[in-house]
Amino acid sequence: MRPLDWYVLIGTLLFVVLYGMWRSRGSRSMNQYVLAGKTMPWWAVAFSIMATQASAITFISTTGQAYVDGMRFVQVYFGLPLAMVILSATAVPIFHRAKVYTAYEYLEQRFDARTRALVSVIFLIQRGLSNGIALCATGIVLTLILGWPDHIAILIMGSLAILYTTTGGAKAVTWTEFPQLIIMMLGLVAALATAVWLFPGDVSFLDAVAVAGAAGKLKSVVFSFDWNDRYNFWSGLLGGMFLALAYFGCDQSQVQRYLTGKSIAQSRLSLMFNGVAKVPMQFLILFIGAIVFAFYHFEPPPLLFQRADLARIQAAKAEYTPVAERYDAAFVERRQAAREIIDARRQGDPEARARGAERYRRAQGDFEAARGEAIALTRKINGGRDYNDANYIFLTFVTRYLPAGVVGLIMAAIFGAAMSTISSEINSLATVTVIDLYQRHFKKDAPEGHYLKVAKWATVFWGAWAMVTAELGKNLGALIEVVNIVGSLFYGGLLGVFVLAFFFQRVGGTAAFLGVIAGEAAIFATAGLTKVSFLWYNVIGCLVVIGTALAVSVVENRLRWGKAA
Amino acid sequence: MAGNDGLEPPPLLGKWGRVYTAVLGWLAALIVLFLLFQREFAP
Repeated sequence: MRPLDWYVLIGTLLFVVLYGMWRSRGSRSMNQYVLAGKTMPWWAVAFSIMATQASAITFISTTGQAYVDGMRFVQVYFGLPLAMVILSATAVPIFHRAKVYTAYEYLEQRFDARTRALVSVIFLIQRGLSNGIALCATGIVLTLILGWPDHIAILIMGSLAILYTTTGGAKAVTWTEFPQLIIMMLGLVAALATAVWLFPGDVSFLDAVAVAGAAGKLKSVVFSFDWNDRYNFWSGLLGGMFLALAYFGCDQSQVQRYLTGKSIAQSRLSLMFNGVAKVPMQFLILFIGAIVFAFYHFEPPPLLFQRADLARIQAAKAEYTPVAERYDAAFVERRQAAREIIDARRQGDPEARARGAERYRRAQGDFEAARGEAIALTRKINGGRDYNDANYIFLTFVTRYLPAGVVGLIMAAIFGAAMSTISSEINSLATVTVIDLYQRHFKKDAPEGHYLKVAKWATVFWGAWAMVTAELGKNLGALIEVVNIVGSLFYGGLLGVFVLAFFFQRVGGTAAFLGVIAGEAAIFATAGLTKVSFLWYNVIGCLVVIGTALAVSVVENRLRWGKAA
Repeated sequence: MAGNDGLEPPPLLGKWGRVYTAVLGWLAALIVLFLLFQREFAP
């Protein structure tokens, strides 16, 4: 990073933190600390919801996902607008009317304290794990790319997020997320614009898109159905809807965001905004990954994007040299094939296009084969350890090619994205710890100031926990997938119990409690014993919770009738 | 879902049911656009 990048990065981070602390001054009651006094306008809540969801992983990993696997990942978000509509019509008015601080508090009103405690603990485990993975992994990637000492990025992001979240609570979280999302969007647009500008003079934007299309990277809708295929239209629409229903309806880190809304209408509008903006935003991020892929047809990409592993295989000269030579030759052939595609497209000649596409397919196959050899060599040198550099692709591109100032802006966007997610999550983890566990089970009638103090200490604890668990994020592959997989292991159970609470009025506490346990067991069995895509875990878990609870309810009723008779 | 559930109406379109229909229509339009886009640049 050059001096201008540092000015942009430090200036932006300071502005965001000070702005959040200034806007949240005077949060002295639990209502203000946890729900911002329910004073937030819909647009601030909407930005907060989107910024919470868009973590640093969204930048780092989603772009890499498009580079490696194309844009079909966007289908995961097809179910989100449906979920926003369902939650707006159901959960939002129910939570507002119940006057709860947390979604789990409502479960005690509806079922019993046992179910509330179980679901709260499931949330703490799931969110505590995801938060750690997200923060550490982001820090590790930044550390490797920027060449900083270990864990510096983690410490900076974690400490700043703890600082303003502890002092200002939900209000600080919401107000900092507003500029953070704007910086994220500016960073994305700057990355796309400069990528296009960096193409050779005779390669236009549409030419670049055509090259990405020739490699199949622009395929974003796949209608063929396969249970084991992670990303197709059906798994995205149905599985993605269940994932979004669980995330926005049962995960306190999101529920708390829209509960800060001034009214039911303001909360609903914030969800509607998310339903409208999320899919195009993800499309844009994936599209940037596809354009970076096209860019690397005219500039040679590194054989491996993880510099440390590249250095390791370079040291094994006898094996490395032939692989590198094949890779270089394949790059030259692929570049020529890409130019043939561009020329054929300009001429509008279908036969030339078909010939170009065929040549490109062969060249791309050779190119991937050469890289595959390098990956196999890396695995061999690393003692069989799996290798995945999808998370390094975008940042390698940014730090190598983008001009001074733009790099700083993108780094600020990544730091901001990480901090916005961490702050929302530690805020919600602290809220559940205090409201659902500490106040409910350990100290019931303490003064408000006591709970506020405990909430602040809980915020510091969960922030520190995230930093300590950072190591878990190493070598986990495409992190956006990992976070979604971890979420899906728990969300099905949570979603099932809320569906019971909202729509099955005759189901009682014992049935709901046993239903959640059965649902979680079913999800872990599916994950451990089958290859079913993680998007289906939410559907399976939810249905098992409902089925089990209904069966237990029938048994309970029969026993009751038996006794009565 | 179709009406206002006795709640504050939305600032646009008058009823929440219409807002929901517009959001779902937007999703359908996006999917069609993505399909057209991928078809235009298919290999």
